[in-house]
Amino acid sequence: MSDAAAISETLRAPLTYNEDVVRKFVVAGMFWALVAFLVGVYIAAELAWPEANLGLSYVNFGRLRPVHTSAAIFAFGGSVLIGTSFYVVQRTCRARLFGGEALADFVFWGYQFFIVMVALSYLMGYTQGLEYAEPEWHLDLWLTLIWVIYAVIFIGTLLKREEPHIYVANWFYLAFILTVAVLHLVNNAAVPISMYSAKSYAAYGGVQSALIQWWYGHNAVGFLLTAGFLGMMYYFIPKQADRPIYSYRLSVVHFWSFVFMYIWAGPHHLHYTSLPDWTQTLGMVFSLMLWMPSWGGMINGLMTLSGAWDKLRTDPALRFSVTAVGFYGMATFEGPVLSIRDVNALAHYTDWIVGHVHSGTLGWNAFMSFGAIYYLVPVLWKRSGLYSARLVAWHYWISTLGIVLYISSLWVAGIMQGLMWRAYDAFGFLQYSFVESVSAVHPYYVIRWLGGMMFFVGALIMVYNLVMTVRSPSTRRAVTGYPVGAIAAGE
Amino acid sequence: MEDDISGVLVGALVAVLGMVGLFMASGAYDNAIFIFGLSLAAFAVLFDIGLIRRHFDRRSGGRHV
Amino acid sequence: MPTKIEKDVISGRETTGQVWDGLRELNTPIPRWWLYTFIATCVWSVGYVVVYPSVPGLFGYYHGAIGYSTRVEVNSQVASIAAIRARSMDRIEATPFAQIASDPKLMAVAMAAGKITFANNCQPCHGAGGGGRPGFPTLASDSWIWGGKLEDIQTSVQHGIRNEDPDARMSQMPRFGVDGLLKPVEIAAVADYVLALRGANKDGTDVTAGGKLYAENCVACHGEKGEGKREVGAPNLRSAVNLYGTSKDAIIAQISAPRQGVMPGWNARLDAATIKSVAIYVHSLGGGE
Repeated sequence: MSDAAAISETLRAPLTYNEDVVRKFVVAGMFWALVAFLVGVYIAAELAWPEANLGLSYVNFGRLRPVHTSAAIFAFGGSVLIGTSFYVVQRTCRARLFGGEALADFVFWGYQFFIVMVALSYLMGYTQGLEYAEPEWHLDLWLTLIWVIYAVIFIGTLLKREEPHIYVANWFYLAFILTVAVLHLVNNAAVPISMYSAKSYAAYGGVQSALIQWWYGHNAVGFLLTAGFLGMMYYFIPKQADRPIYSYRLSVVHFWSFVFMYIWAGPHHLHYTSLPDWTQTLGMVFSLMLWMPSWGGMINGLMTLSGAWDKLRTDPALRFSVTAVGFYGMATFEGPVLSIRDVNALAHYTDWIVGHVHSGTLGWNAFMSFGAIYYLVPVLWKRSGLYSARLVAWHYWISTLGIVLYISSLWVAGIMQGLMWRAYDAFGFLQYSFVESVSAVHPYYVIRWLGGMMFFVGALIMVYNLVMTVRSPSTRRAVTGYPVGAIAAGE
Repeated sequence: MEDDISGVLVGALVAVLGMVGLFMASGAYDNAIFIFGLSLAAFAVLFDIGLIRRHFDRRSGGRHV
Repeated sequence: MPTKIEKDVISGRETTGQVWDGLRELNTPIPRWWLYTFIATCVWSVGYVVVYPSVPGLFGYYHGAIGYSTRVEVNSQVASIAAIRARSMDRIEATPFAQIASDPKLMAVAMAAGKITFANNCQPCHGAGGGGRPGFPTLASDSWIWGGKLEDIQTSVQHGIRNEDPDARMSQMPRFGVDGLLKPVEIAAVADYVLALRGANKDGTDVTAGGKLYAENCVACHGEKGEGKREVGAPNLRSAVNLYGTSKDAIIAQISAPRQGVMPGWNARLDAATIKSVAIYVHSLGGGE
């Protein structure tokens, strides 16, 4: 080894991060985003026009719906979360990922394998019948293995960090990783009938099963779609805005109040069921107390922009992140409101709930992901910038309009359903039959489909823009400003 | 160094998992396990080939990493 | 990494002194309104927990200051609706059909009750307005299988067809093809004859053989001219309204291996007055006798 090479090696060594695995997760995340949106648009069409299922069992609503939710939450959301967490934890700890390339690669490919196997099993008709936990036991075990290794890598990297303190984004990522592990293990407890059969029997039955399921389901939203994404927010918004986080103290208080409150809120999914009243009450009050802890993240996200609001004009990607925080604030206010018994009596089982979920998933999760990916792609592929800021603006407006159509049509549809279902005539009979409520929401289902379609089109524009960013010579960064060693290593 | 150890350990783990997949597929009662088992074995083979390829790429100058 | 507290020019706040990958945090105090709202939701929640059933113990749970229970609430709501219904439904139960028809007010209640009950319970099979679907009889025509008088409809709804109810309407058409009672050619001949009965023998096929087989095997239930027999639930073969299709293939299939439609009895699910109302509603759909 020549002297020059040795010197460049020592210069380079402490700062080479494993970005390869992050790039893979970003690509996978965008791919699954398209899949999730496309399947979502298709099943929205099936709701509006039932003939769209073509009479085929493989593409009927019951099988495609978990394909959509799993693709959106676990494939798209999960890939973006794991990818960004690997990126953020390395940078904010000044440490390369623990466990070497092969381990990180195994998490990537193992996770993708999980997703593909899960989607196949849904299409073949296999399910445990637990919402968001549909995969059968063998896939649950596989995910457990992947997840444990993921946790080992993340925690290992935290432990070997060079920074004295752990950055706030990593608290949220860690809460997400640990809680999802616990949720997954407890809710999926089951006894397979054989090692050679995909059929299993759940460890719990009846109301216990329902309670554990919604403890799981609600905290999958809370810790995967919220805590994990708050971790993303705490890194990418200050990065994009180039401003310090608004309040360290708020981040501490809202983090601990958030993780403490969230875990109890699940029973609000089971109001007016056979779940004991006292459990329902506790679920409701914890949901209400959760309002401010959730909003702490919104305040820290938005206030971080003070002094940098003008960047929204020049950086359309930042618009996604900031709008995401706005939708986050809206959804985390709507959530506690919906958890109130009397509101829930109207809203439960209606499309209002579906709209509420999508204001969170489209508005907050997807937008936050878009903001982060628009930031990451030029960095990861060493480009001077995005291919086209105008296309980002197009994506932004088409998607935002799509979300507005989606949410508002389901608000109307949901409230209408709730009111129709509870209306009695003067003789004490139901005013409307169920079928009438179905045909009444048809126009809103069409609008919802249109909104989803626009969101999908926006994502196509994004993918085109990102591909061009990586491919086009116009974004190629000048080679000169680069450390010699990095180029030699092909990084 | 870390990458080499990691490669050997992960490679071995994945190989064992691939064997488990073959066993599951061999005794499968239903399509789900049959497909899962075979896919797991294929996954293991491809993943380990990838590890080996990467190892030799790195040795021969690291330009393909 | 040494920590160095800096002052942020824009906000005038100090940072905490740490830097991660260029990111800093300001040491801004928690916004007052955030804290107060948080405390307010907690205080409100404590109040709610005191008032409503909430805290579990080893043996049971705290029932709340006002003794609220969702079960009591739903029971009282159901009871109050039942009380409103009872005002008219008791009379419907006690009044014979003929008298209900002559009492417009009572008739209006029966129609309202029958309409919504039909829409939520019968419509999935029989279609909106009793329009019927293949395999599920049309109720809006006079082509009745088991009878179209109010009492007939009431009985059909009460006990259903071919189910476990001992009073259910029962009948079974023999499986002529599957059980080898007729050869395939014979079945085809009978089908031709049935088509001729329907006036659908346009190409003038000779149906004498089929007619003979029909007289030997089918007349007992379906009648001389295919007019059917309601006592045994044998459909009118000449009716424009047809349960399983009117093509030759469909008729052959039905003779070979008859489909035996099943309808549940509604006695267990609907009370007598509601069933009566359903009968009145169905009777009014267009085919009532």
